[in-house]
Amino acid sequence: MKMQNSNSGLSPIWNWKITALSFALLFVVGILAISFGPVSLNFVKIIRTLFGLPDGLTGQERTLLIDLRLPRALLAALVGAALATSGAVYQTVFRNPLADPYLLGAAAGAGLGATIAITSAGADLYSLLPIFSFFGAILAVLTSFFISGKFFAEPNSLLLSGIAVGSFATAVQTYLQQRNSSSLRPVYSWILGELTVANWQIVTWSSIYILIALVILITVSKQLDGLMLTDEEAYSLGINPNKLRVIAVVAATLATATAVSASGLIGFVGIVVPHLVRGITHRVTNRGLLTIALVGASFLVLADLGARTLLSPAELPIGVITAFVGAPFFLVVLRKKRLVTQ
Amino acid sequence: MSTFRICALFRICATVIAITIVNIYPASAASVNPKRIISLSPSATEILFAIGAGAQVIAVDDLSNFPTTAPISKLSAFSPNVEALMNYKPDLVVLNADATKAVEVKAALEKLKIKVFLERAPKDLSQVYLEVTALGRATGHLASAQNIVVNMKSKIRSAIVSARKSVKISFFHELDNTLYTATSDTFIGKVYKDFNLDNVADPAATADSAGYPQLQSEYLIKANPRIIFLSDAQYGESTATLTKRPGWTGITAVKNKSVIALPEDIPSRWGPRLIDFYQFIAAAIGKIK
Repeated sequence: MKMQNSNSGLSPIWNWKITALSFALLFVVGILAISFGPVSLNFVKIIRTLFGLPDGLTGQERTLLIDLRLPRALLAALVGAALATSGAVYQTVFRNPLADPYLLGAAAGAGLGATIAITSAGADLYSLLPIFSFFGAILAVLTSFFISGKFFAEPNSLLLSGIAVGSFATAVQTYLQQRNSSSLRPVYSWILGELTVANWQIVTWSSIYILIALVILITVSKQLDGLMLTDEEAYSLGINPNKLRVIAVVAATLATATAVSASGLIGFVGIVVPHLVRGITHRVTNRGLLTIALVGASFLVLADLGARTLLSPAELPIGVITAFVGAPFFLVVLRKKRLVTQ
Repeated sequence: MSTFRICALFRICATVIAITIVNIYPASAASVNPKRIISLSPSATEILFAIGAGAQVIAVDDLSNFPTTAPISKLSAFSPNVEALMNYKPDLVVLNADATKAVEVKAALEKLKIKVFLERAPKDLSQVYLEVTALGRATGHLASAQNIVVNMKSKIRSAIVSARKSVKISFFHELDNTLYTATSDTFIGKVYKDFNLDNVADPAATADSAGYPQLQSEYLIKANPRIIFLSDAQYGESTATLTKRPGWTGITAVKNKSVIALPEDIPSRWGPRLIDFYQFIAAAIGKIK
């Protein structure tokens, strides 16, 4: 579908400059993130190490940079991109601006999986926490799918069954926590989200799933706009809305489940970032999905920098930062957007 | 009201508060010794059995697994249920002040004419001694409780003397693998402090008012503790898993294998078994070169 640029005065529907700018933003924020920490490292040496030049960091300082800060910043970027993109896609599929990646029970399912892993006193399960939360999220969304059944006809029924499944999983989780009071703090801190355990292994496996999901979503992003129309109109544009919805929800769920299992429940990114990008670009189209992914990545890398430095040498849960900074920022964008449409 | 009067008023209030804090277990001698005690606190259970009140105890909560002769039940210490307690027809219930709705549960039990001993989490050893004495008084075993306190004091002192070093040795107390820890403001932190150990978590003391901050891996590598105490050993952490954490092989404690798995339960049972805990730490420090 080729959009005409006849509406003079409006910028084109997708602008490569904005995407390039987001790339640059992510790069700058990334450099910033790995430059700060409880141990102060020489900035020039950091850059030299990164680009493999001689006279870089050595010994323990090199380990700090390569094995601690770098994977953490990368994981933040991956998780941020995953959540922001999934959020944008869910909002389009459900035609609901309040939809977020956790809507279909992914958060509650992952929470239940994590709680099972934490409360199962056995040493073996605790280390499997990421796997438990991953399958918890996937199972919850699948259950929502099967219960709603008539998903293809009515996205709202999927939404409602997602809420029911989520409540059910949360109830079981609360029951388990109540029976194992010693698990309260670990579960609570997991729910707030954390990137403290980031290492190359986590970065590697999560990048595989998240990148696959992102590639799928960005590939279909152009067609996703068709879902904002009625199904008849979408068909007339050569889009099969049912098939597209399934592809989009499955890919978004894969990204979300991976993000959640790698870093816990980091809230607000999935709602704030898509609206932020749409608010700034004055576009509701999904063709900016790549931009949304990049901004989401930058947002979380920056939030994690705050989480690491504000209470240094202690940590602040990243979820606190995303909501604390995100909410007011979001309100400003919302207000500006309203003024524009008036 | 003049500034002076306000100041005076504050001072009176402050004094009243100060008195209540010191006197956490007000002396109220039981007219009749209780015969059907329920303990909803693992620490209190251990104290009750140590002072010789075990025969009066009819039920203990689901986590009170020591001594093994204690009548363990399905009662929850964390969220106590008044009706479930009533089933046992108790005449004294030991309730932890941190339990869910502790104040309401206490009021309900007292309305049913059941005595309640409200146990407050001790902030240091002196408060443990207060609790032991108070439980002795409340159950008719005051003399034996006082003996236990004397014994604890002397054994703990000799454990400290045997291991106390003149040079401060730095340590890290790991609560879980996301590096939550305890500062010197906590009960367990004070145990280490008694041995003149240097807690690497103390610079983060302001991060959590309760004294349980989460440290950054990077900071820990820099702080380079000489001993690491694992209270998450029961969750599978060990020297082997620590070695796999990025950058941790450079930490002296890991390099010298001065990684000590803390025993289950004992560090969080603040009763007579604190002697065992102090002796355990003393032995651990003794092995450090």
